Amino acid sequence: MGEAEKTFIGGLHEELVEDKVIDEAQLDPDFAEQIRKYGGKDVMTCLQCGNCTGVCPISLRIDYKTRNIIKCCQFGLKKYTLGTQWVCATCYRCYEHCPADLNPAEVMIALRHIAIREGIIPPFIKTAATNLVKYGQSVKPDPEIDRVRKELGLEKIGTEHPEYHKVIREINVLVHATKYDKLIGIQDEVKA
Amino acid sequence: MSKYLYFFGCVIPNRYPGVEFAVRWVTGKEGFDLDIKNHPEFSCCPVPGIFYSSDKDTWLLLAARNLVLAQEDRRQILTVCNGCLASLMKATEYLQDPKSMGKTNRILAQIGKKYTGIPQKAAEGRRKIFDPVKVRHYVEVMAKDVGLDAIKEKTKHPLKNVKVAVHYGCHYLRPTEHATFDDPNDPVMIDQIVEACGATSVEYEDKLDCCGAGGGVRSHVIELANSLTQDKCTNIATAGADCIVTGCPFCLLQFDNAQKSFATDGIPVMHVSQLQALAMGIDPISLGFDTHNVSAHSFLRKIRGH
Repeated sequence: MGEAEKTFIGGLHEELVEDKVIDEAQLDPDFAEQIRKYGGKDVMTCLQCGNCTGVCPISLRIDYKTRNIIKCCQFGLKKYTLGTQWVCATCYRCYEHCPADLNPAEVMIALRHIAIREGIIPPFIKTAATNLVKYGQSVKPDPEIDRVRKELGLEKIGTEHPEYHKVIREINVLVHATKYDKLIGIQDEVKA
Repeated sequence: MSKYLYFFGCVIPNRYPGVEFAVRWVTGKEGFDLDIKNHPEFSCCPVPGIFYSSDKDTWLLLAARNLVLAQEDRRQILTVCNGCLASLMKATEYLQDPKSMGKTNRILAQIGKKYTGIPQKAAEGRRKIFDPVKVRHYVEVMAKDVGLDAIKEKTKHPLKNVKVAVHYGCHYLRPTEHATFDDPNDPVMIDQIVEACGATSVEYEDKLDCCGAGGGVRSHVIELANSLTQDKCTNIATAGADCIVTGCPFCLLQFDNAQKSFATDGIPVMHVSQLQALAMGIDPISLGFDTHNVSAHSFLRKIRGH
């Protein structure tokens, strides 16, 4: 395969390169609609100009090409897009350079929503969400840092104050109300 | 003068307490004496790379909860982090849509809260007008509300001969539909603050590029995030900068941690508030530089002229 073809196909899994034939069973005709449902704009408006890929800090580095992912979304190749890792840094450069005003970064966000609902949940999502329902913050408090805070004359991290229990309870109620706990599998941590 | 509420987010209090100290000191009695206070009930903003990426409804609810607290106090939120800024500002925009405001308020009712925005004085017999809760970035407040002249005036120890590489961070600049306080293609505010502190802001290649951490990349594929950081650091080193100054603690965290894995000596990284505090004559020991991975010792020696 020539360099140009490789670039064009970059971001897709090798199986696609090898198989070459994509049969209809792999296509999901509602995929564009699903992306819209989770806040992405209509992927069919993409002109395939490649501006997004040219300005994407990640596309310049690895085999992840924004344009190809959008192309797959147009075809309805769900299987190929959901397999891509969460490597979009949401820097929104693609949005600034998109002549079709598509906002590819938001399409990536919508793809993450769909992936999560298919059970593809990266572990750090669970970790951060667990920290949130336990401490009200997505970064786990560190006793060593608390020591430094004391030295600097700063208050202890708020999560240990009795009045903060109310906040944690409120967060638990909200997370439970949207069924987010069940969605990402932290229902054992949530007390609502 | 506007009234503010501190919003430190997660990374600063739990990883870089020195930044929290610097911000409190710069905005407090010994600094610019802003009308600013704590709110003990703020939680995570919530972080866009996790919650905005996995369930927008939950993200909006958690953000709205924080916004309601500012609404009750009739104060602006002063964020010190690009992530908190992006998350909360985007939430105020979502909540401008009556449908999503209604949906959010139906669930917020379960915890006895309601987001309306801050009521404004309306003319007699007119309907009440509500303004969305204002979310401001520390840098914007410094450059606009406090003003560069005031910063210059308070600079007791101008940081002469210090070369600073400014890193803005993505969510300070983009998406342009909400981040309008600075020019997204040619931002100036952090540079101006740095210059007002007496230091020199050096130009370097790809200054507006991403640090590599955002959107969950750092948590997911750390090597990829670090490779982006390495390119930035190479450009910064070429420009001969003594330190990196940013307005975002997550970029700070990424620069600070990623440099551990590089073969070269690290370049110290700090928040813009820490640089300001140094110029305003604080004892560096209060700035918690020992929680930073890249040692700031040689840098601090330099600014003291040893």
